[in-house]
Amino acid sequence: MTITRRHVLLGATAAAALGPIAARAQTSEVKIGVIYPFSGASAQIGVDAQRAFETAAEIINGKYDFDLPLARTEGLPGLGGAKIKLVFADHQADPQKGRAEAERLITQEKVVAVIGSYQSAVAVTASQICERYQIPYLSADNSSPSLHRRGLKYYFRAAPHDEMFSQAMFDFFDALKKKGTKIETLALFHEDTIFGTDSSNAQLKLANERGYKIVADIKYRANSPSLSAEVQQLKAANADVLMPSSYTTDGILLVKTMAELGYKPNAIVAQDAGFSEKALYDAVGDKLEGVISRGSFSLDLAAKRPMVGKINDMFKAKSGKDFNDYSSRQFMGLIVMADAINRAKSTDGEKIRDALAATDMPGDQTIMPWKRVKFDESGQNNDADPVLLQYVGGKFVTIFPTQAAVAEASWPMK
Amino acid sequence: MTAETIIQSLASGLLMGLLYGLIAVGLALIFGLMDVVNFAHGEFLMIAMYASFFLFAYFALDPLLSAPLVAAALFVFGAVVYLLVVRFAVRAKANTGMVQIFSTFGLAVLMRGVAQYFFTPDYRSIPHSWLGGKTISIGGIYLPQPQLVGALIAIAAFAGLYFFIHRTDFGRALEATREDAGAVALVGIDKNKVFALGWGLGAALVGLAGAVMSIFFYVFPDVGASFATIAYVTVALGGFGSVFGAFAGGIVVGLVEATTTLILPPSLKTVGIYGVYLLVVFIRPRGLFGSI
Repeated sequence: MTITRRHVLLGATAAAALGPIAARAQTSEVKIGVIYPFSGASAQIGVDAQRAFETAAEIINGKYDFDLPLARTEGLPGLGGAKIKLVFADHQADPQKGRAEAERLITQEKVVAVIGSYQSAVAVTASQICERYQIPYLSADNSSPSLHRRGLKYYFRAAPHDEMFSQAMFDFFDALKKKGTKIETLALFHEDTIFGTDSSNAQLKLANERGYKIVADIKYRANSPSLSAEVQQLKAANADVLMPSSYTTDGILLVKTMAELGYKPNAIVAQDAGFSEKALYDAVGDKLEGVISRGSFSLDLAAKRPMVGKINDMFKAKSGKDFNDYSSRQFMGLIVMADAINRAKSTDGEKIRDALAATDMPGDQTIMPWKRVKFDESGQNNDADPVLLQYVGGKFVTIFPTQAAVAEASWPMK
Repeated sequence: MTAETIIQSLASGLLMGLLYGLIAVGLALIFGLMDVVNFAHGEFLMIAMYASFFLFAYFALDPLLSAPLVAAALFVFGAVVYLLVVRFAVRAKANTGMVQIFSTFGLAVLMRGVAQYFFTPDYRSIPHSWLGGKTISIGGIYLPQPQLVGALIAIAAFAGLYFFIHRTDFGRALEATREDAGAVALVGIDKNKVFALGWGLGAALVGLAGAVMSIFFYVFPDVGASFATIAYVTVALGGFGSVFGAFAGGIVVGLVEATTTLILPPSLKTVGIYGVYLLVVFIRPRGLFGSI
């Protein structure tokens, strides 16, 4: 068959006729792009994140008796009960792939919003693309402070960033010092991408302001085959507190190498990441009794807010794991985004953006220990209170701040 | 910087370097034999580590005991890879070089995908092996037992390989095929058998390395990537095709890596390796011990 002008015209007419149907069909389904590492070194994070987002979508699309936005209704009532559809994209921890995938999600998949991304380095590129297409980007779990300081209009973060986390750590040190514990010297150990760099910058600044001495500031290469030279330097510095900012692989190797080179720090206060991952505790948990990590989530909360436990059970049925600092923030990311789309009553990027900017979600309607979700001009929620958790007897207990604590900190670690 | 720090760095570098050498030697062997670079070398290491991990998890077999088993299994695997993939790739009439590269590279991607599908991307590690976390301390210098034993195994494997190549009939056939694959066919040596043997041996060596590494490293589908890069540099540095070169290259890489961090920040530690590598390639393109 040769293609004639008539065929082309017919085809075009057919496409034009189908067009409005497709457009109408779209309103019963709202596509949200979810951009995570599903392959490569952090693939497990992506796999777990997918389950967390699916749990949130299930609650939004179905009917549940939780005091959580959109739980008691089916779909988005603001859009005639439209259902949320998640479109997952794999960025492989590569900022360039993140950029390309964000563009694909927006132009090909026609998503109305994007949520990401575990690695802050990827959030940088993906959110820039979103800005260009005027599509809202929400950082579910990126913690680099520089992210919301780029003057972007479509960037939002409901969770705390590393300065807030680090502040909590130094507040905790100050409180311990007041009680007579000796904390004078700190050793920073951080990986060399934006997460580690921003984290150590925040910690350096706070240490200077509050009079702690940094005796080692080691920036190491992520995913190194060996960390023995780095650990040697930490050992030589022998600080009162070791403060690592590492992803899971490096965290495991760090702890193993410390044991091999006979370095036993007095205390470890970690910037989450690998130190909130089950895989790390499966591998080297026996050497980490008493390690402290920051977090924005704690299952302790289930005692005060039973829905936290029930939602955790839903997630556990899918993933075989309890919520951790990451999956809980990912879950909340979709709830916050869906709530804004619902209030916007539209799938238009600018309207959703304005609805996000107007968000005011009380803390007890979340699964987090946050005061509330309310964004400032830069898109940051400053009312997301971080907590410090200590690993005791195989699980995490909240030890700081005092109003959230369920146990006293044991210091030094065993 | 104290003398202790320097000695500790050199010791850590030497132990790690011997292991790098053990990983690289299989790569060098295969390249020397048939001019094929195995781009799935890192993935061979990965499945060896998984094999060692699962033997521990399900049969409580310590990696030291399972190392010969893992090496034997990898031997079979390597030979099968040659017979099923590489044998056909080298026969390609056009663009032979490209076909070789893409066949082993494709194999690498496939192996990673399969591993991620079946084993999940989670990080596994062997928590309580005989040597795990144990250390010998001599005058303030710490020698981790897993790496120490790994280094001894590496030396033994090099010696064994040397003996095999220079003192056995199979080894002589290997050498002869490497010299001239066409001529050996005339004297009745089946070159496919020899190549399969070479692939098996190369895989077995990296299998041995994987088993030892599972004691102190974590396992996940992409674990091969960072070691494979070092292995390629090691082989190029030591000299393409030279088994002894891979051995020496590994030691050089380990020592350079460890001492670089005494001078430069740790995030720049690979700068030293690549610096030395570039220098060698400029001055002596065939590598330190290369004959090609």
